[in-house]
Amino acid sequence: MGKAFDPSLIIEFIPTLFHYLGVTLQILAASIFLGLILGVAAAIPRMFKIPILNQLVILYVSFIRGTPILIQLFLVFYGLPAVLQIIKIDVSKLEAIYFVIITYAISNGAGFSEIFRGAIRAVDKGQTEAAYSVGMTSTQNFFRIVMPQALRIAFPNVANSVIGSLKDTSLAFTIGVMDMMGRGDTLISATAHALEVYISLSIIYYSVVLLFEKTLGKLEKYFNRYQKADLSAAA
Amino acid sequence: MINLKGIKKSFNKSEVLKGINLKIEKGEVVTILGPSGSGKTTLLRCLNFLEKPDGGMVQIGNIKVDTEKATKKEMLTIRKQSAMVFQHYNLFAHKTVLQNVMEGLIVAKRVKKKDARYRSELVLEKVGLKDKLHHYPSQLSGGQQQRVGIARALALNPEVILFDEPTSALDPELVGEVLSVIKTIAKEGITMVVVTHEMSFAREVSDRVLFMDGGVIVEEGTPLEIFHAPKEERTRRFLQRISGDSFFPPLKERVN
Ligand SMILES: Nc1ncnc2c1ncn2[C@@H]1O[C@H](COP(=O)(O)OP(=O)(O)O)[C@@H](O)[C@H]1O
Ligand SMILES: [Mg+2]
Repeated sequence: MGKAFDPSLIIEFIPTLFHYLGVTLQILAASIFLGLILGVAAAIPRMFKIPILNQLVILYVSFIRGTPILIQLFLVFYGLPAVLQIIKIDVSKLEAIYFVIITYAISNGAGFSEIFRGAIRAVDKGQTEAAYSVGMTSTQNFFRIVMPQALRIAFPNVANSVIGSLKDTSLAFTIGVMDMMGRGDTLISATAHALEVYISLSIIYYSVVLLFEKTLGKLEKYFNRYQKADLSAAA
Repeated sequence: MINLKGIKKSFNKSEVLKGINLKIEKGEVVTILGPSGSGKTTLLRCLNFLEKPDGGMVQIGNIKVDTEKATKKEMLTIRKQSAMVFQHYNLFAHKTVLQNVMEGLIVAKRVKKKDARYRSELVLEKVGLKDKLHHYPSQLSGGQQQRVGIARALALNPEVILFDEPTSALDPELVGEVLSVIKTIAKEGITMVVVTHEMSFAREVSDRVLFMDGGVIVEEGTPLEIFHAPKEERTRRFLQRISGDSFFPPLKERVN
């Protein structure tokens, strides 16, 4: 058990912890960015039913869905160096944060690939036929007609993933990354005021999530400007 | 000019088009009647290769394609000879009315943006939508959306415009505005192939009426011939069924 509860410590801890928000956001930004690329790459074999790759992606997605992210993190942290050792690449000096980014990119990539695939399929096929009927090629149709609308459809789900991912970054400290959570961990060791640290952390995470939700919500509205719900606003 | 020779198409081993031969002259307005499932839509879609026919020859304007050997490039070339108006409009939902019409001109025909805009505004004025240029499709009524669909086709200045039941998804009170736009452009000498269930419209605008059933053209003729003196039993039965006996007044009344 820790020491007696002291609420004033919360006010004191918040700035200290907040200082490490940058690391958290770095992990988030890098893993979302790489995850988006991986998601597109993984959606392609699924959409075009490319043999073997298609099955591999199915396995990849179901494995990521079916295992806890913490375990994925350990698998990458311990497994990746071992695998790379075989081809004589030494990553033992690599900072822990890179393993976190790789893990979350892989995890986000699986989610994004499913989101993208669903979104592309959800775009009305009639519009593709209309695009062909005015003489567009399939590439022109994809980039000018399908993709812009698929992005709109995908957006709310991507936004949810971003927020989920932001919270998941709090696991990075388990492999020694000094993000907000990692700093919190050391604060607890130093002060033995665990509850105050966790309250401070929850306040920061919660505020950042609210801010994200608000911003992403605004963006979503912008994407939806041509949808029926906006009829009265735009008319 | 359009020339189809022996167009065949099957879906899952059931033959939907059983060797269609059809010649359409420049400026001709041809309507296609026929029961549901008779292959009318498939025929239109084979004309612009939204469906690839299994066999036969398609010629539109100067472009002639042997469907069995058709390459992607050939299909694209012949597709650019025509434009299509869809039953469910199929407008680009993320683009404004003006952008919907400009899109094909800019992307497929590589018309300069300024010229495309000029031409698009002109056709949109023709279909009565000059005041809706910057609206999105979701902000329009069905009739207005279909008129955008017609403008989009018209703007391309194609050899032929294909209409697939352009009014059958519309509320009854909106059918008139769309039909009157189609009638106007029919009078301008644009070649048109129209699949429709609007009998009085077909009678009024067509130079020629085809009756399709079971994947073949059962009968063709002038509106007068088809509506008043159909030779085939199948045609007669279809017309009776779709219109009820009272719909066709005696010939005398109709001539004036
Ligand atoms: N893409 C498709 N796949 C399978 N069957 C189809 C397809 N398109 C049309 N058909 C079938 O072909 C037949 C003719 O359809 P269609 O050309 O749409 O007729 P119509 O327009 O005269 O009602 C129908 O039996 C329909 O079910
Ligand atoms: Mg049809």
